[in-house]
Amino acid sequence: MDYPDHLKYSAEHEWVAVDGTRARIGITDFAQDALGDVVFVNLPALGTTVAAGATCAEVESTKSVSDIYAPVSGEIVEVNGALDDAPEMVNTDPYGEGWIFVVELRDPGELDALMDAAGYRGMVEEG
Amino acid sequence: MPEGAPPGEGVAALPVWRLVDDLDAPLDAAGQMAADLALLDAVVAGAPPALRLYRWQGPSVSLGRFQPESDLDLAACARLGVEVVRRPTGGRALLHGGDLTYAVVCPEADVPGSGSGPGVDAVYRWIAGALVAGLARLGVTAAVAHHGGPAGAVCMATQQGADLRVGERKVCGSAQVRHLGGVLQHGSVLLERLPFDETDLVAGGGDRAALRAATVTLAELGAPTDPRVVADALVDGFARTLEVDLTSIPTAPSAA
Repeated sequence: MDYPDHLKYSAEHEWVAVDGTRARIGITDFAQDALGDVVFVNLPALGTTVAAGATCAEVESTKSVSDIYAPVSGEIVEVNGALDDAPEMVNTDPYGEGWIFVVELRDPGELDALMDAAGYRGMVEEG
Repeated sequence: MPEGAPPGEGVAALPVWRLVDDLDAPLDAAGQMAADLALLDAVVAGAPPALRLYRWQGPSVSLGRFQPESDLDLAACARLGVEVVRRPTGGRALLHGGDLTYAVVCPEADVPGSGSGPGVDAVYRWIAGALVAGLARLGVTAAVAHHGGPAGAVCMATQQGADLRVGERKVCGSAQVRHLGGVLQHGSVLLERLPFDETDLVAGGGDRAALRAATVTLAELGAPTDPRVVADALVDGFARTLEVDLTSIPTAPSAA
């Protein structure tokens, strides 16, 4: 299981890559493994405002529809349209080509509530 | 019963689940899906888990949550009097009317071994154990299906780990939605065939012979098909296998 050190993590198994005032978000290696083969990603709408902890997207895998939560608040400014044709990238490259959306941060202070890689690894491995 | 329970104190109480017997509920297809979702919302709000059992009042076809409606031949559905409804769960088109449908709702945290969050397959396996036990009471030896790869437009034409098979033929198809910490899984146990099947309803038709070869009904297995008998067997399977008390809360007339 992979936990890149440069990312932040939510308890709901999203990762966050911060670049200035923007946060690129996807689901973790643990999450994609728990979901199984992803066959569809219901992306959030561009321009919508999301609140930290709220559901903002969904994935379907092995006939199961699961929520994806916004780990931080802000406006959806990019979505990964490539997932429409290749949702399996969530499985094959969860921290890279499988990213899901980008949020323009409303409150960068919310990032402090997220875990670092060691904290997230501990949560996952200790169950 | 946990080890170390003091003698004379009685058996440790099992987790209580609500049993919703909707075998005769006069709900249309949309009403059936709304009833399942209402149970999920209730569990998310803190209500006990539930097992709901129901029959469809007329032939209906349910589409998976994100399945294109263009997968169906809507004119054929109308001609055959088949109601079309979208499920909140994943998967592909499934014809109802000859089936008995179960719905389980519970917190994800109730699934054994959930730890940091149960995997999709872990939930399927947990509930499959109960369904297999229930079917065994009807003399049917079912097993978790093989993972058959990507599905086409018809649920029953392919197998995934969510499903149950007898031999190599699918007898039960299931699907899930996981929302706000709750999980709803519902699925159809094939009791008997209708005069038509999914290949009459999907756009472009389908391979009827292949679909029939890929599936089997309780009737074809020589097992009971009376919905009440099958429902009772499933309730017993859930109660014993998941070790839950499905009798402590009176049966509700509907899930509303």
